[in-house]
Amino acid sequence: MLQSPHNPVRTIEDDDITSARILVVDDLESSRRLIGAVLEQAGFRHLDFAEDGPTALERMAHKPDMVVLDIVMPGLDGFQVCQRIRAELSREIPILMQTGMQEDDYRVRAFDAGASDIVSKPIDAGELVSRVRLHLERRRMMSSLQVYRRRMEEDLRVAQAMQQSLLKPAGEIEAIVKPRRAGLSTFYRASNTLGGDLWQVFPVDETRFGLFMVDLSGHGVSAAINAFRVHMLAAGMSDLADQPGAWMEALNRALVDMLPVEQFATGFYGLVDVPGGVMQYAAAASPSPLHYRADGSWTALDASGLLLGCDARAVYPVRQCPLDAGDRVFVYSDALYENFRNPTAALDTPQLADVVGTALTAGADFQSALLQRLFGSADAHVDDDLTWLLLEAGA
Amino acid sequence: MEFRTETADGQLVVTLSDMLTFDDHESFRGVVTAIVDSDAETAVLDLSGLTMIDSAGIGMLLLANDRSAKQGKTLRLRGVQGHVAKVVELSRLEQLIPID
Repeated sequence: MLQSPHNPVRTIEDDDITSARILVVDDLESSRRLIGAVLEQAGFRHLDFAEDGPTALERMAHKPDMVVLDIVMPGLDGFQVCQRIRAELSREIPILMQTGMQEDDYRVRAFDAGASDIVSKPIDAGELVSRVRLHLERRRMMSSLQVYRRRMEEDLRVAQAMQQSLLKPAGEIEAIVKPRRAGLSTFYRASNTLGGDLWQVFPVDETRFGLFMVDLSGHGVSAAINAFRVHMLAAGMSDLADQPGAWMEALNRALVDMLPVEQFATGFYGLVDVPGGVMQYAAAASPSPLHYRADGSWTALDASGLLLGCDARAVYPVRQCPLDAGDRVFVYSDALYENFRNPTAALDTPQLADVVGTALTAGADFQSALLQRLFGSADAHVDDDLTWLLLEAGA
Repeated sequence: MEFRTETADGQLVVTLSDMLTFDDHESFRGVVTAIVDSDAETAVLDLSGLTMIDSAGIGMLLLANDRSAKQGKTLRLRGVQGHVAKVVELSRLEQLIPID
């Protein structure tokens, strides 16, 4: 084993690198021997050899970690072998091509063919070993990043499923709202796997039910964790369920303690009473819910109110929305109308009301009709967490 | 987001332009530093050049307000218009940060 005078202490990383499998491709036996001896001296133990292009492509089946490739060979030359490896076998594997100093344009052609790097001929032992190590280390870093990334993605998928499980499925919703003479359809899509939006619906008494939607500022993991905390908080606030203002104030006070200064939430709480013909609600800066009358006319509900989590003294007035048979109320998050990629494409309230009103005429296909109109397709990716609730007052 | 600062009549005026969104966390740090480092007792954020603001942007304004207050300084907003005005109105931001 050859020890570098600068770094006589071998590390575990060195062991990892030298256990790499290296395929040496050269038509001259003397060259193969030379390269093999240099690499062996540097500690590489798993060397494989091919004397021409077709053999090299066959030996790729043994999944080497790196290829050292000569250019001038009879039959398939190094450029062609390199191109075929890139096109058919691996875009990532490091390919080190040997070029003679006199062949200047070979260097450009080597990179064009997909070489990771070139090494000059005649082979300089130090240069060859350095370049081989460099590329193997880079490759190993890339694969550990890929492993890390896959693990993170898996974690996020699990967390997303947990978050989704907070949201009631259609059957449970119907069991709550139908006996109270209402219909409720819901939609939720997170922007990057995890989101800060949360909605919930629960019975209050024989004739009324409550629903809320909360949007935590920010996206991703921290917003999702806060959404979980809001879910827990709300579960403990059922004694306030018949008082929208007090409910919102209690949530606000809890969020003041919970959120750092630059984070906040917006929220809407509705107490739905179809037999009584009214929805009482309290709101904290949530986008204006749209109230559609059975005749198709609409009004935007005033949902202004101090951001949640900023001032413990904030007061949230109770407002009223009349609710007659056939009326619909559409509650939604700001992702539905904002467009930060193309600000001029953002919708104002009348434009949004028009789009939603048109989608409502699609009946059972409301969801896909609305997504189609707003995002161009029913399964479009959204830049922000997108949530809506569509409430319908029955007869 | 871009910003420039000037001091006039004992006030620090920070003029913001373009959009103030999630991507501006880094650059907004410069705004907070300018307020903290200034000798002026009052800092004014001029938002007249701002075309859009998202929830992260509102969070940055709240952060600047908090840092100012902790130093005994007053933060004010002015030039609130367009999309920014709608967001500010909906969120009743004037109850947290005075608006001229």
